[in-house]
Amino acid sequence: MTDCWNTDNGEAVFRTRDMVKNLRIKVRVEKVTSTAALSQHLQHQVLSQQQDGGAIELQTLTSQGHKGDNEEELVVGWQEKLFSQYEMELFENEAACQTPLERQYHLEVKALKKARGRRNRRIFTYTDHDRYTNSLPFNQLQYSSILLNTSKSWPTFLAERMTSLRQRGQDQQKIDCGVPKAKIINWEPTEEFVRNTHVVNNVMQTMHIMADLGPPEKLGQKENECLLVTIKTDGSGTVIVKPDFNKGREPYRIVTGEKKEVWRLTVENASTVMKPEQKDREQNIYRDLYTQHMDYLNSLVGQDFEMPPVGVLRYLLNGEIVSAKGFEYDNLYIHFTIELPTNWSGSPNQSLSGVTHTCRTKPMGKEDVAFFSHLFSCEASYTCDKESEGTLLQWPVLYFKVLSLDSWQRCRTEGYGYLLFPAIPGTVSALRRFFIGGSPELEDISYVRIPGTFKGERLSRFGFCSETTGNVTFNLHCMQQARSFVDANMLRKKRQRVLNQLGGFSQQGAVSSVQEAFQRARKKMQEAQENLPKDLISSTSQLQIELSSQLKTI
Amino acid sequence: MGVYSIYRYNMAELHIIGQIVGASGFPESCLFCKWGVHTGAAWRLLSGLREGQTQVDLPQIGEMAYWSHPIDLHYATKGLQGWPSLHLQVWHQDSFGRSELCGYGYCHVPSSPGHHRISCATWRPLGTWQEQLVQKFIGGGHQLRKPDLIYSGADRYRLNTEAMGTVELELDIILRHFDKYGVNS
Repeated sequence: MTDCWNTDNGEAVFRTRDMVKNLRIKVRVEKVTSTAALSQHLQHQVLSQQQDGGAIELQTLTSQGHKGDNEEELVVGWQEKLFSQYEMELFENEAACQTPLERQYHLEVKALKKARGRRNRRIFTYTDHDRYTNSLPFNQLQYSSILLNTSKSWPTFLAERMTSLRQRGQDQQKIDCGVPKAKIINWEPTEEFVRNTHVVNNVMQTMHIMADLGPPEKLGQKENECLLVTIKTDGSGTVIVKPDFNKGREPYRIVTGEKKEVWRLTVENASTVMKPEQKDREQNIYRDLYTQHMDYLNSLVGQDFEMPPVGVLRYLLNGEIVSAKGFEYDNLYIHFTIELPTNWSGSPNQSLSGVTHTCRTKPMGKEDVAFFSHLFSCEASYTCDKESEGTLLQWPVLYFKVLSLDSWQRCRTEGYGYLLFPAIPGTVSALRRFFIGGSPELEDISYVRIPGTFKGERLSRFGFCSETTGNVTFNLHCMQQARSFVDANMLRKKRQRVLNQLGGFSQQGAVSSVQEAFQRARKKMQEAQENLPKDLISSTSQLQIELSSQLKTI
Repeated sequence: MGVYSIYRYNMAELHIIGQIVGASGFPESCLFCKWGVHTGAAWRLLSGLREGQTQVDLPQIGEMAYWSHPIDLHYATKGLQGWPSLHLQVWHQDSFGRSELCGYGYCHVPSSPGHHRISCATWRPLGTWQEQLVQKFIGGGHQLRKPDLIYSGADRYRLNTEAMGTVELELDIILRHFDKYGVNS
């Protein structure tokens, strides 16, 4: 007749949005005695014999007697105070009550005695207000065999600190959106303040469900009290139940006192469940709330995004001139210009050149460095027309020259350099070495790279003397925008989806046939796009997506 | 729970999440930083603080002042122009409690998604040599009348400055729905 026991006594953490006061827990304790086991066994035998159709009628053996002494089942609400026999006797006596809480208990006990009496017998509770609740962990500290398998071990310093914390809330200052309004620094912390704040302490409300497991004649002895279930909750919806609900598995095992009696413990969640109509209503309310919030956010910005016209690549460069180092003289400034090749156009009201401020250098390591952090940005559009389809795409260039200005207002050139706009969008940190072309200055700064007047095949700089000077550091952030990128992204996603759906048919032939179908559909879509009048296309890109999906089904 | 209803629109959104780590290379320690983010007209701040001030940090060991000041911004936009940029002012608080300017720094918020480590260089305006001598003894010094003037960029060449230290930032950039409008970054 050995039962299986549930040995998993760990605590379970639940999260809920509902109020904790709706929590109901059904607790059942049942004693495992030899007579109880025997009587059950006999009952089973008799019943099975009767079912077999035996003609003998016997009186069923039951040990009625005092059934209530050996088992009890109770539904307990959150922070519901149920008195034990010991407490009933204690609080009956008015002289023993000192605190207002005990006086309140005294009144309740008197009322209970006048009425039917309490509904519990063995099972009782300690709520958050009882002083026993706080000292329970300290008592358990003595039995530190919870963690280790040695019978004797001393609690550590940290363990002592944790148990001697008051589990109720500390004096919290008013906090408003995370920023405390009162003083931030405590210049003279007290010992208790230090003890409370050096250790993680989530403010929890606790409740203990206990049972008095002594012999039925001698209820009310404090030594026979045994902790059954501990329920803790913090203000934000976390509920910790130790031990966890049985959920249909085997009951827990409690061994008491000197006599070593064994009891079975079953814990169940008996809270009322929300009706499905209420659940639907709650979901609808949430959904409306979120939609309203999304509408509000959308109304802040508006729904249209600025798009470039069809067939135009918009290029946006956000750059900064960070620093210059390694030059001969002091008080440097940089003069830069942006050159846009053919087929590129910039917006009319932006300037394509700029001058930074003059900066005195400071030594950093072996070199002298000047800091500019000069922000500039450039927006350019590239239109691809038919005649230049064969030639390579030319990207815009940034030319710059570094000059120094001394205290007599003399200006001398320190160096020239160029930087190509990055072709791939992203962030680039570029260092550019310079060269200086002797003391006369360059007439045409584009000579630095490829002169504008150059038309041949080989560029020869024979006879041009230069020496290397310093470095200038740039940070470039580049973004590209075009309508055709929208289709490319959508097509790529659709292709992935279809390939995933292929699944088991992942043969080469099947994959390539799908890809061919895509190419055909895309071509059809492009042809259809060209045939449509212009104003239809320049509206949102939604139309193009619809077109492609329609054509795909053809 | 928490499932949103059908989107009707898709706004382009930008998240900037990161911290101002600290500053180094300044002649004085005991520094704090005032920072702010500047955007174009098409950008709307959905949540987060667009400017702030760090605490004063006095390094005990080493010379880098650490602030670890959080930056958490959520923008929505109608266009790519006016991409956000960050402006920083590093100030020094001396033992008498006075504050003096140590440097201005400016940098663009990166446009490619991911983790970025940014070193923003700073500079300080200089006066005449007499004013510089006075500044060496009793502090003070010139400040920009309106730091926002820098963004227009036109008058910058008039300034005479000297190089100061660098401010370290770590920023994580998250873009949303930009690819639906054909933006590659």
